[in-house]
Amino acid sequence: MSRVWPLLVALSRDWLRNREAAFFALLFPVILLVIFSAVFAGGSAEFTLFVQNNDVEPGGEPTNLSSAFVESLKGVDALAVQSLDPDRNPTAWREGSRTTETQRLLVIPEGFGAAVRNRSLQVRMAVIADTTERMGGQLNASQTAQIRRNVQRARNATNATAPVTVAFRAPPDDESAPTVRGIVDSVVAGFNDRAIGVEEPTVAVESERVGGENLGATDYYLPAFIAAVVLINGVMTVPAVVAGFKHDGTLKRLAGTPLRRRDWILATILQQTVIALVMLGVMVVVARLLFGVTAVPGPLSVALVSLGAVAFTALGIVLAGFLPDPDAATSLGGAVAFPMMFLSGVFWELDVMPPAIRTVAEFMPLYHFHRGLRQLMVRGTTEGLFVPFAVLGVMAAVFVVLAVRTTRWRDF
Amino acid sequence: MFGDLFGNGETVVCDGGTTDGGTVVEVDDLTREYGSTVAADGVTFDVREEEVFALVGPNGAGKTTVVEILECLRTPTSGSATVVGFDVEREPHAVKERIGVLPQSFHTFDRLTVRENVVLARRLYDEGFAVETVLDRLDLDGYADTRFGALSGGWQQRTGLAMALVSDPDLLFLDEPTTGLDPAARRTTWTQIDRLADAGTTVVLTTHYMEEVEELADRAGLLVDGELVAVDTVSTLVDRYGGAVKLVVRAGSDGVDETVATELRSAAVETYRTDAEDLVGLFDDRSRAQDAFGRLHDLAGDRSIDLVSAGMEDVFLRLAGGTLDAGGELR
Repeated sequence: MSRVWPLLVALSRDWLRNREAAFFALLFPVILLVIFSAVFAGGSAEFTLFVQNNDVEPGGEPTNLSSAFVESLKGVDALAVQSLDPDRNPTAWREGSRTTETQRLLVIPEGFGAAVRNRSLQVRMAVIADTTERMGGQLNASQTAQIRRNVQRARNATNATAPVTVAFRAPPDDESAPTVRGIVDSVVAGFNDRAIGVEEPTVAVESERVGGENLGATDYYLPAFIAAVVLINGVMTVPAVVAGFKHDGTLKRLAGTPLRRRDWILATILQQTVIALVMLGVMVVVARLLFGVTAVPGPLSVALVSLGAVAFTALGIVLAGFLPDPDAATSLGGAVAFPMMFLSGVFWELDVMPPAIRTVAEFMPLYHFHRGLRQLMVRGTTEGLFVPFAVLGVMAAVFVVLAVRTTRWRDF
Repeated sequence: MFGDLFGNGETVVCDGGTTDGGTVVEVDDLTREYGSTVAADGVTFDVREEEVFALVGPNGAGKTTVVEILECLRTPTSGSATVVGFDVEREPHAVKERIGVLPQSFHTFDRLTVRENVVLARRLYDEGFAVETVLDRLDLDGYADTRFGALSGGWQQRTGLAMALVSDPDLLFLDEPTTGLDPAARRTTWTQIDRLADAGTTVVLTTHYMEEVEELADRAGLLVDGELVAVDTVSTLVDRYGGAVKLVVRAGSDGVDETVATELRSAAVETYRTDAEDLVGLFDDRSRAQDAFGRLHDLAGDRSIDLVSAGMEDVFLRLAGGTLDAGGELR
């Protein structure tokens, strides 16, 4: 055991002087943090929507109702509404557009205002008729008959029977189209309500932020980045470094000394754990300085990150044992790390994934690592922490044993 | 063990292990197979205290396999070996505590300085020399703060030698210590090994350079295709297999005259051509060689003819049926 310390010092010095390793362990996570935080926490999204209003008066002015509908769209913060002249051919316009976003188009048909007016009257009459029926004994027969006659007269005066349709057009590769379509649907629903005289909503939604005071989006991303970087260090960097030492004979030189295999593995794991904790500190400080992050890792967060570093480094040593070539070891590490990152809900929520993938994710150690860190750093609670600690603890124990068994100390 | 070299007067041999009458290494019927390939085939030899023992052979002869088994870095298929009194299979840790190893194609941490690498090597052992003393004695103090990766091949090898020596080992393994070095660096490495030998160091050396064997080794074992075909002192090997003396007819621009070649072949025990197309004839008897020298001198005219003592190259020719080129390949 006394040989672990000098080897740990040597490994750490060698690592600190390796610019590539230092970049990927410290600077790369910071760059990742800054980019993601700038992209996802830099303000609300805004989607461009072109509107072609074909419902115009003989003089060329939009009808009142179609104009009111366009104004409703413009009133939504998330939409940047732009007009497309009614004279333009939508197909020719789309083909002339250069980006996906500018091909998103809502077409208001000719006769929109008249159709809305007639449809509105029909709906109102239906409401009156229905209300009359429901009032039952409160009206006498004469009053009821009078109302029915008036309703029927009004219905006869209108000729629209089907709702008017506005056409939403977006190319198939427009990933934001479903979101924009949802916003348009909500505007249409509000317009429909007002068209039949419903000014006061029956049901309203109120947004509240949960999970802590003064927490921003970066607070929520930070645990994800930390978990992902610990994974990348352990599963991609460690196999490359260890395979490199094996390839150039450094490991054989060490094996020719009294240093034992377990000492080598322990020193490597300790070195990576120290790197993970330094990385944790750097990321927290950068997140605080640049994005005002308030989440601070406590002793349990430090313990969980350390356990994660042990588990993933041991896995990396096992991977290095299979391949002597550093490039092949990096590729194998990538093949393990990237699917785990994308399937564990680190970079995006599992809610957007199919149920089968969500089930798979729950078997990924990174999923539990990330959830545990988020629980500790963002929610500030220890509830449910047994699972992440247990999963990473079992993983660490299994892969440390496997690392001892698969690392060659003879017959290189 | 290297007390004389490093000036502390200590002479400790095989502490903890037991050796039999000054025998530091005992190898008995050692075999190592890789599938159908036999890298070492029933190899038996011993190494005595304070001698430099060379394992000689072409590339692929099994030299490194045998040495790595003795260094506990490789497992034998059968047979046994003890190093400084400890069994290499059952007591590898005890063996490693007492040996110094300079592996073939030595490499260590590129981004650590020479001093830092030697300090690491020292701290992996319980006892040893002061790092600064070793750096000084191997003339490495001028490069002590240079990173290993920035050194030339010769200085890298010397760093490896320092790392092998810093633990004050009872036995030093040098696996192809001068392969890949330029002639000047090779000569310097020889000087260092000579100093170790003069200080009473026991060294096991592998090489394919016959000149290196003649320069450094007390005894040598010749490995050919995994088999040890001869083991003895270098002088005995040369006397027994190399012939007492040899005649070398230097090739001119048109090679060696056929009349001269025919005369030499008829007089010599055996003849062969060198890389430079010189014709060499081996003789068991010096007077017969001198008679032949007189006859050839008349035939060869102004062609240069030398009468020289035989060496390990001639031994190798006799026992392996070929000579070794500079890269260690059998020709």
